[in-house]
Amino acid sequence: MAEAPQPKLSSACGLLAQLKENHPVLKLHALTHLNVFVDYFWPEIADSIPVIESLYEDEDYGQRELAALLLSKVFLYLGELNDSLSYALGAGPLFDVSEDSDYVRTLLAKAIDKYANLRTKAAETNDNSTVIDPRMEAIVERMLDKSTTDGKYRQTIGVAIECRRLDKLEEAVVRSDNVHSTITYCIDVCHSFVKQREYRREILRLMVKIYQQLPSPDYLIMCQHLMFLDEPDGVASILQELLRSENIDDALLAFQIAFDLVENENPAFLLNVRDLLPSPKTQPSEPAQVSESAQPDSAETEIALTTEDAQITDVNQADESTAYTDLLEAVYAKRLTKIRGILDEETSIQLTLQFLHSHNKSDLLILKTIKHCVVTRDKVCHTATVFANAIMHAGTAVDTFMRENMDWLTRAIDWAKFSAIAGLGVINRGHLQQGRSLMAPYLPQGGGDGGSRYLEGGALYGLGLIHANHGKGITPFLLETLRRTNTEVIQHGACLGLGLAALGTSDEEVIEELNNVLYTDSAVASQAAGISLGLVMVGTATMQAGFMFAYAHDTQHEKIIRSLAFGIALTVYGREEEADTLIEKMTSDQDPVLRYGGMYALALAYRGTSNNKAIRQLLHFAVSDASDDVRRTAVLALGFVLYSDPEQCPRTVSLLSTSYNAHMRYGAALAVGIACAGTGLSEAISLLEPLTSDLVEFVRQGALIAMAMVMVQISEASDARAGAFRLQLRKIIMDSQEDNMSVMGAILASGILDAGGRNVTIKLRSKTRHDKMTAIVGLAVFSQYWFWHPLIYFISLAFSPTALIGLNYDLKIPKFTFVSQAKPSLFEYPKPTTVPSTVFTFQMPTAILSTSLRDKIRALQKEAERQAEEMKARKKLTGRQAGKLREAIRDRNRQAERQAWRRMDRKKLVEKLADNIMAANKKAEAEKAETSPGKGKLIIKDGDSKQVDSNAVEKTAPEPSYEILTNPARPSSLTDMSGGSAPGQWGPATATHVAEEPAPPPPFEHSS
Amino acid sequence: MDPRTTEVSQLFERFKAAILRKDFDTCTKLLSQLKIALTGFKSLPPSFEKTPNAVHELTLARDIYEHAVVLSVKIEDQDAFERHFFQLKPYYTDASGRLPPSPQEYPILGLNLLRLLVQNRIAEFHTELELLSASALENPCIKHAVELEQSFMEGAYNRVLTARQTVPHETYVYFMDLLAKTVRDEIAGCSEKAYDSLSVNDARQMLLYSSDKEVVEYIKEEHPEWEIKNGFVFFQRAKESVPCKEIPSLQLINQTLSYARELERIV
Repeated sequence: MAEAPQPKLSSACGLLAQLKENHPVLKLHALTHLNVFVDYFWPEIADSIPVIESLYEDEDYGQRELAALLLSKVFLYLGELNDSLSYALGAGPLFDVSEDSDYVRTLLAKAIDKYANLRTKAAETNDNSTVIDPRMEAIVERMLDKSTTDGKYRQTIGVAIECRRLDKLEEAVVRSDNVHSTITYCIDVCHSFVKQREYRREILRLMVKIYQQLPSPDYLIMCQHLMFLDEPDGVASILQELLRSENIDDALLAFQIAFDLVENENPAFLLNVRDLLPSPKTQPSEPAQVSESAQPDSAETEIALTTEDAQITDVNQADESTAYTDLLEAVYAKRLTKIRGILDEETSIQLTLQFLHSHNKSDLLILKTIKHCVVTRDKVCHTATVFANAIMHAGTAVDTFMRENMDWLTRAIDWAKFSAIAGLGVINRGHLQQGRSLMAPYLPQGGGDGGSRYLEGGALYGLGLIHANHGKGITPFLLETLRRTNTEVIQHGACLGLGLAALGTSDEEVIEELNNVLYTDSAVASQAAGISLGLVMVGTATMQAGFMFAYAHDTQHEKIIRSLAFGIALTVYGREEEADTLIEKMTSDQDPVLRYGGMYALALAYRGTSNNKAIRQLLHFAVSDASDDVRRTAVLALGFVLYSDPEQCPRTVSLLSTSYNAHMRYGAALAVGIACAGTGLSEAISLLEPLTSDLVEFVRQGALIAMAMVMVQISEASDARAGAFRLQLRKIIMDSQEDNMSVMGAILASGILDAGGRNVTIKLRSKTRHDKMTAIVGLAVFSQYWFWHPLIYFISLAFSPTALIGLNYDLKIPKFTFVSQAKPSLFEYPKPTTVPSTVFTFQMPTAILSTSLRDKIRALQKEAERQAEEMKARKKLTGRQAGKLREAIRDRNRQAERQAWRRMDRKKLVEKLADNIMAANKKAEAEKAETSPGKGKLIIKDGDSKQVDSNAVEKTAPEPSYEILTNPARPSSLTDMSGGSAPGQWGPATATHVAEEPAPPPPFEHSS
Repeated sequence: MDPRTTEVSQLFERFKAAILRKDFDTCTKLLSQLKIALTGFKSLPPSFEKTPNAVHELTLARDIYEHAVVLSVKIEDQDAFERHFFQLKPYYTDASGRLPPSPQEYPILGLNLLRLLVQNRIAEFHTELELLSASALENPCIKHAVELEQSFMEGAYNRVLTARQTVPHETYVYFMDLLAKTVRDEIAGCSEKAYDSLSVNDARQMLLYSSDKEVVEYIKEEHPEWEIKNGFVFFQRAKESVPCKEIPSLQLINQTLSYARELERIV
């Protein structure tokens, strides 16, 4: 229908009057003309709707469809979209989908909406009885087909996904010009907009299916999706195929896939993939068979016992001892060993350990300051300092502070001792091989005297922290210890350790043992068992949750109920709608402690989904529950639901952060801390800032911790408030008027701010936007520190090192450099604190105490001098911001670029490299002094192009930035050090400014 | 000349002859045919296409509808009147630039005003009035209707009834008769509110009837709920006054309590 002409009429009453005539010809005449002029005269026509309706309803009348069309248009103008749509459907062929008018567009949108709604409802209730108007279906299909043929694939994809028309979706994807990008788009859409877990999986499954049909599938992405779908066999067969390929690039690709999978922290899945990779074929001769079957075992034990070097020798052994059917198999076997190493995460753990150790930049002076300040304070602050130390050095294996302050440490008694020892576990996290020998002095010995039970418990917990998520080796030992002991504290430590070591494995033996402890009904031991049960069965949505729930009702101990409630919450991790019944049961319970668990269940089941329903429920509980605990947790839980969309969180909780209820404010602070962890988001900081000076001490505590979580690894250059926050922390710690609670917060915040030797950040999502289960679970348990301080250590699970690590075919680090065009100050480490200011605060009291006037004057002078000095120091601090250019970068914002770079086809990359080498060399020199941060493009500058060849596999950790220099001697020296050798030997290494040219890596041999 | 136009003209001639013969059945039939024939002309509203014969056709169509309006008065069909009048109206409003004004325009507009008055659609009456120009208001046909309305509103019902004698056009008589009845209904409605009872004699005067018999008949027909007893008319008004509204106390208490609860929840 053409655009309606400007009517020459002033009113439609004539036509309307004609409509009431008896003769059909006159009615038709009127209808036809009204239809043309409806855009102008709809208000008048609206008065005559009954007349037109009666025409439409008159079965005998020949022009019913015309009447329906007219009605539909009038209703559209009246804003009655539903009526309009139903009449439009009644208009049949007269309703022209391809017409380009507001009317048709609006109605089509409405039709699609309604259709999508109905389809979703039908799918959700599994109710096939809902009959969808076939006319509507036809319209939607016509739309979809049309946009597909018009080449508007994205449009089709969006609509098809929403309408649950997978058939149309597949068609659109397959027919699109660039299937790869279309699929990527489709998956993005599906992750960000499809809220039902089941349906999302369906779409992903379809995508994988399409991928498989493609001539050149993108295995990287495909494996990511297979992981999301939890289909290890698919991944295993892809990897196998790649490994068996004669092309070395394929093997590299397989390694890359493995690294990417590892990054998503799903150990159970990795284990499955690993086990599904078939062993190489051997010659059917008898001895070979034996050696083959023996081989994997011996390899494992050897790896467990010795260092990385052993892995290489192991391969050699395999070569010698096993007679493979042919050369290809031999190659495959070699590759298989490597990929198993990767999938076991041994490779990546080794690499990050090296990185964290060698680049440790933690500032011991901060700790010393803290230590001096808390002398006069409550034990709580003493313990907090121990925590801060552990967090600061998490994963770096640098325990200088502990060694230097042994006597101070020994002042810790009971649970503080427990925490102090467990802290060793955090510091040495990832030292899978030496973990046990490290902890050996503290571990329970056969006899076990009562006094050391806190030590022993702490050591067991520490073992768990070392082996968190990779506890295959240690679980039997922990189990054994747990069985042997009856001491509550040791049980406590062992349970936590087991929970960490067997995280997400659903190991039945572990579960049984934990259950045994649980049913002893001892407040201390069962508490740990409750949490650990959850940890072991995280995300399994098992039946066990029912038993836990029942026991939570039986027991009298609130601690046990709380831990069980939390454990139950862990079991529904990531289950979304599946968890609804359980959540409903928990949140409607009489016991506030169980409702509290229900909040966590909501948080974890809907982690990172930004699900509106979950948010609504949490907000409801936040304002309506009678218990402060529940309310606080409900707000806090918002952080977990919203971390996928950090910008949204401050907005959502901003109102709650000004609540009259201190618990709500605390919850809001932590929610922001969790959701915006490591982002340095400006809104988040603005929201937290006022809370750090709240009237209530525990709110200050929470706000400080949250602020540290948000600001971790944010340099002053990217947000000036980072420097101010450090000063604030120091002020709080030194202020003798300050409450213990907030001092504890400040100490912990200092620890988190400089976590992992200033080389880690808190990340809840991997760069492929998968949720990092371990990290999320870690933060969730961490947030429980409110009730049980030792749980603070769980935050170490959420740390991920910020490094860019390149590897070659031999999984060694080649020498390579790249140029970052970001300002170096953006990634600069904070300047180390200076001594004078710390001395100053401690001498001041003595100066004031002096009685003689002269002394007083002298003291005043001294003070003035010191102040001047301090001012100078501070000035220096900010003045130096511009900094020198560093080769290494820490580039959060450029993550996207790097991802793109990583995904780039390897061959293209090499070509590009060659092209860029010349340009980059020149450019780098030219731009050394002045670099533009806006572009953020990465160029590879290669000093030794032989080494970065097509053999190089790039493995980037989610966050940027350091070259890792391999030093094969290091692992052994690590052991030495932990054995008691002077840590000073690493001092110079850590202190070396990165601007210096890093030492070239040792030569490495290709093993082939 | 277009053969179709000729055909319509001939049909129209027959129609006019039939009116003169007062053969209304034939008229209606012919009119129906005429209207259908008119839908074929593109120059007519709502299209207003500029065809060579536009003026002639428009004039013809307007003539036909004017006659149709008059016919509907003659056959005393108010619905048909309204229908035809609305279809005629575009010829006056939208086609005024293309056509010489019709001599019938004001009488017909006046008729329409009268009809609205009869149907007691005062609001529409005034809407129509507002659309007329000042000079149009001077036209005796319009003036008549306006004066009637004024008298009607003032309650000078006698003037309304006497105005029947001074109709500007013979077609007005029909509506004037109807108007008398409208007036009577008004009076009856007022009396009902104003009096508990009236003597039949007073009622006769009030309702402007000449004999008691007419009064009784009127009451029987229009107000069967009234009672005539002992020479008095009793208006059986719904005497029971509406009881004063009950305060929904329970509901209010509930509401207040829930507000209080909500207030507690406000963060």
